[in-house]
Amino acid sequence: MNSPTVPPGFSADVVWNADRLRCGELILALRNRIRLLPSGMTLLLIAHDAGAREDISAWCRLTGNRLVTSQHPHYLIERKAE
Amino acid sequence: MAGKICVSLTHAGDDADRATVAFVVANAALGCEQDTLVFLSTEGVRLSQRGYAEQFHETGFAPLAELIASFTSAGGRILVCSPCFNKRGLDPNQLIPGATIAGGAKLVEFLAEGAACVSY
Repeated sequence: MNSPTVPPGFSADVVWNADRLRCGELILALRNRIRLLPSGMTLLLIAHDAGAREDISAWCRLTGNRLVTSQHPHYLIERKAE
Repeated sequence: MAGKICVSLTHAGDDADRATVAFVVANAALGCEQDTLVFLSTEGVRLSQRGYAEQFHETGFAPLAELIASFTSAGGRILVCSPCFNKRGLDPNQLIPGATIAGGAKLVEFLAEGAACVSY
């Protein structure tokens, strides 16, 4: 499993390397993981799927979780308030 | 408020590629917090049977049985077309978890509530 260097500004409460998970598998697993976090906590997702560039921002818009910043394959997400 | 997504699937082993992608998309929809329904009809109803999906694993994707199990365990629903099911002599005692035999009215009810539908 790849462990790319985390760029500056991407520190998070939880890090999850989704490695080569793609599309629906990635999105559903992301949903399941973010639900485990209290509101306001951050998850750093590492996702190498080329589709993640568009999918993660779309997922955040649909679910209301905040995409704090991104630099593929790194996506810093803040769990929304319930 | 969550939207509604229907994934209509008309294939099983006859086109495992389509069957797989349908469940990938269904998982994506569910992962995006959409109320998601997979409607199985024609050959797709074969996927409702225990032990059937296990034989299919398309390159680049998770095994089909795993995709289906991920979908239903996360709350996704599967409707199975009743006449298609009966035509193929399938066993209602062998339905996979999360699958329910239903007719057209149940599908139409879901669609009439404003669901978007994608078909495979």
